[in-house]
Amino acid sequence: MSPRTRKMVFQILRYVVALTALVFFLFPIMWIILTAFKTGDEFLRSPPVWFPRTPTLRSFAHVIETGGLKTLKNSLIISTSATLLSLIVGSLAGYGLARYKVGGDNLPFFILSQRFMPPAAVIFPFLLVFKTLKWVDTYQALIVVYLTFNLPYAVWMMRGFFMEIPIEIEESALVDGCSPFGAFWRVALPLVTPGLVATGVFCFIFSWSEFFFAVTLTRTDAVTLSVQLANFFGKMMVMWGEVGAMSVMAMLPLFLMSFVVQRYLVRGLTMGAVK
Amino acid sequence: MEDGLELAPTVEGPYSKIKFSRKRLTPWLFVAPCLIIILLVTIFPTIYSLGLSFTRWEIALPDKPFIGLGNYIQLFQDSRFTHSILVTAIVVVVGVSVELALGFGLAQTLVAEMRGKRIIVAALLLPVMVMPVVVGYTWRLLWDAQYGPINQIIGWIIGRPFHYTWLAKPPTAIFAILVTEIWQWTPFMFLVFLSGLSTLDPELFEAADIDGASGWEKFYHLTIPLMRPILIVAVLIRGLDALKFFDIIFTLTGGGPGNSTETISFYIYQTGYQFFRLGYGAAASFVLLIALVIILTYLLKLFRATSE
Amino acid sequence: MNTKNVKTFGILFIISLLLMSLAAQCAGSAEPQVVEKVVTVEVEKEVEVEKIVTVEVEKEVEVEKIVTKEVEKEVMVGNFSSASRAVEEAKQYAGTTLNVVWEAGLQSQDPLTMGPQWEALTGIKINVIELSYNDIYSNQLQDHLTGGGSYDVITFSPLWLIDFVNAGVVEPLNPYIEKYMNPADLEDYLPVYGAEGYARLGDTWYGLPDDGDVFVLYYRKDLFEDPDNMAEFKAEYGYDLAPPKTWQEFDDIGNFFTNKYAPDLYGGAIQRLEGQVYSFWYGPFSGNGGQFFDPDTMEPLINSDVGVQTLTEMVNQNKWMPPGVEKWGFVEVLSAWMDGQLAMVITWPPIGRWSAGYGATVEQLAWVPSTKVAGKVGYVPPPGRPTLAGGFSLGISPDSKNKEAAYLFIQWMNSPEISLQRVMLPYALRDPFRLSHFESPLYASLWPDAPEYLETLKEGALKGQFELGIPGAREYAEAVDNAATAAMAGTDPQEALDTAAQRWADITERLGLEQQKENYRLWLEGPWNKPGPEVELP
Repeated sequence: MSPRTRKMVFQILRYVVALTALVFFLFPIMWIILTAFKTGDEFLRSPPVWFPRTPTLRSFAHVIETGGLKTLKNSLIISTSATLLSLIVGSLAGYGLARYKVGGDNLPFFILSQRFMPPAAVIFPFLLVFKTLKWVDTYQALIVVYLTFNLPYAVWMMRGFFMEIPIEIEESALVDGCSPFGAFWRVALPLVTPGLVATGVFCFIFSWSEFFFAVTLTRTDAVTLSVQLANFFGKMMVMWGEVGAMSVMAMLPLFLMSFVVQRYLVRGLTMGAVK
Repeated sequence: MEDGLELAPTVEGPYSKIKFSRKRLTPWLFVAPCLIIILLVTIFPTIYSLGLSFTRWEIALPDKPFIGLGNYIQLFQDSRFTHSILVTAIVVVVGVSVELALGFGLAQTLVAEMRGKRIIVAALLLPVMVMPVVVGYTWRLLWDAQYGPINQIIGWIIGRPFHYTWLAKPPTAIFAILVTEIWQWTPFMFLVFLSGLSTLDPELFEAADIDGASGWEKFYHLTIPLMRPILIVAVLIRGLDALKFFDIIFTLTGGGPGNSTETISFYIYQTGYQFFRLGYGAAASFVLLIALVIILTYLLKLFRATSE
Repeated sequence: MNTKNVKTFGILFIISLLLMSLAAQCAGSAEPQVVEKVVTVEVEKEVEVEKIVTVEVEKEVEVEKIVTKEVEKEVMVGNFSSASRAVEEAKQYAGTTLNVVWEAGLQSQDPLTMGPQWEALTGIKINVIELSYNDIYSNQLQDHLTGGGSYDVITFSPLWLIDFVNAGVVEPLNPYIEKYMNPADLEDYLPVYGAEGYARLGDTWYGLPDDGDVFVLYYRKDLFEDPDNMAEFKAEYGYDLAPPKTWQEFDDIGNFFTNKYAPDLYGGAIQRLEGQVYSFWYGPFSGNGGQFFDPDTMEPLINSDVGVQTLTEMVNQNKWMPPGVEKWGFVEVLSAWMDGQLAMVITWPPIGRWSAGYGATVEQLAWVPSTKVAGKVGYVPPPGRPTLAGGFSLGISPDSKNKEAAYLFIQWMNSPEISLQRVMLPYALRDPFRLSHFESPLYASLWPDAPEYLETLKEGALKGQFELGIPGAREYAEAVDNAATAAMAGTDPQEALDTAAQRWADITERLGLEQQKENYRLWLEGPWNKPGPEVELP
């Protein structure tokens, strides 16, 4: 087999793998999206109805009527703030841990251990604290909670990414008179852009879909998308159409975001080559 | 590498004096904001919960007496709790391994340029973007005996209607839970590895090509060692989250049939949040926490030993 | 550049310090609160005599005629409307906002519809906080235990009453009722909903009963009255095809229809989903004569022969029910029923309204499949004793700053005239609960079979069985629920119930054997709590 055909076979194989993966990962998503356009007669049918016969936008209209846009806005504000803060604080700490070995092995471990606690175990004292601060039903309560629960993740991810890049560039920067913070900000951080983006994407997703703290710490004003979405599932009803419509509304910003930021995931390659 | 940057301040320069005096402080400044936030936010709830775990705090009882280690002792006699540990272990070990393998494979496949890569990557990430409650309910519908397309597709393949109730029998319920979990979280592994692979220095691989290394050799001697920190972190983070595995169980099986698919987190949710046995729930959480600390310490030691 | 670093760190430090001081402040004042909040409410149980409401029931008379009641005239202040009284009194609180907890989704369409009307009348704004079923329980409890104040109007199911009273989540309503309500309204509740344990403990009302949830057996009249079916059934089973009166008949009929029509149509379906299935064990168990505990020793008796028989019957019914019924909740039962795939279902009341096509065009019901069975539906109470599962009452929070206004709102909502409007909302999930609802000509005219429907709801409720409502109720229920799902997955029913009984014993021991014995004794005093095939009315 010539290298050329070999390469082509590989290329075809890659497409086959990608296609199989797409079918598996997208099938349930497709089901949710199609649900958004179905009518009451098509949600539970035997055999299942795949495509709505008379697609309707009713579900979208109803979701928006019942305050869907407000919860979308709340979720956007809360998740964006929590993500940005997590990235700033997390990459600082991740850098400190990767380069200076602050606190030896125990400190990273301590930080990671913050992710051990099941939310159900700490929700009660959390509510106590936020009640006292009068922070119930505010953005800041959820932002602080999500920041805290994202931090172990952000710190460890960033620490991993910083450890992966060669140390020599920063050393030479320091020799050239750059301050430690400058070495972090100007030299190291740009090198780990793909990692930063990947971390940010997941911080955002964690905050975006978190339900347990959201339902406990909000009442009316700061209700997030995940809480409103859960309200379409009741003991005596499942509003499948609304669930589908709202899921589409919830996925769309994330999908667009991950599409846009991918540029930075790829940019890492070129940055890594600059020496 | 250990003392790489510690050497830097010895270099003569206008700020050398300041650098010397800040030598020990500077590293801590990087970590300080993170530590302060974590301590501020979690220290009170943690201590409070620890306190609760030593009391018999039950909604149905007027007194909340201090009972020392009573809750902890009771936990280990609680067959429901020990069973939930087993289920959790299965989910973590099987689920995370499959996610790791699939995620790494996909990332390797998609790291090089190919037509439509951006849209494929964004599309593969969609599962993690679906709200957990929707994931649960949608998959419950997909697995449904009559209303679910999974049985419908199987029916097409075998040529006659197929109506198996996956979620109503313990072994297939666990299987369904695992598939659902793997479906939702493989994309996480995939994106982390994809970004990790993107940061690898292509020059290293070019050099290896020149040396005539095969694809497998490059993978084993270059990719794996270089990706080690990211691999470890991804497995740790995913493993930790899988230990708290809850949402999918809650909607897919509700811990059933019987108690066969209850995870530790689900049990803690039931006792602490649904039955308001705050003391017992807190004790279970601390058992989980201590177990995690022990396992992780051991695992990290193992990782370090193999990397040296 | 260096000064810049210092600045960055400085800012971060200042932010952190601010956070720290905030947390210190809260940690200081937060800790003592919880312990204090655990209020024990003593409930006087013994006094039956003192009850303002005595409903006289003539035993010989048929159940329907229970309706006739004697009101003790001297208690009555005057004949006035509780609704207009509430509006008049509430006007002084104009401008305030009440936070009202309600179950999310369809249920809250009710306050969302009525709230603006109330606001127009009184100037009090209603803010509906929607929560899913399990979260209503947990959030209301949690909020109260952490100092309260988030909710003014509390909503609860009978199963939660004892927990809410013990934790002090609900305010006793007697002073308010005496002050504002027309006493006749208290007697307008169908006796079972005004009974001990629903919203009232002893003489103390903790809520106003606001929902009449009882299981009803719906059957397809067209199938049952089909001459071929009748002849074939008689030939096979030796008796006439008619709505089942015993579980054996239910089983026969189910088998008959499934054997004849499956997979186009099955004999029937009942909710088997975890979290709902236990309700379908409690009623039949009691109806078969089962007793939850031995009242003398508090030994659980759920794994007795009666219990095992009840569970075995349930498992056997699954064989002729549609494939996958083990995971069916209300929604799946509803879908299959509306599509005409089932000959019988036993479930909550709304299905009866919707299958008649009543109100099915409203926006809120767009998720409900359109009915193919309108006009073909017959209603009878289920065999044995139906479980009185679920249902809601309205209460007020002791932490509310607007207790009077909150009370007046629930009195208005609950008053005969307003509540009639609410139970007739097509999309509402509130079912008739007042005698006046059952007698309402307006309701009876909503669809052709509505009078029969109302009659069945009332009859079913009056011979119903409440779920065990002593402290730990939710845990006891969960143990039975787990036993039922395990048995349906193949565990031997005896073994499954033995496990459940062991858990019941553990729960009882944990909560104090003696106290639980006393609680159970008190609970058994409620006429609809006693086991046995018939309800013995006082």
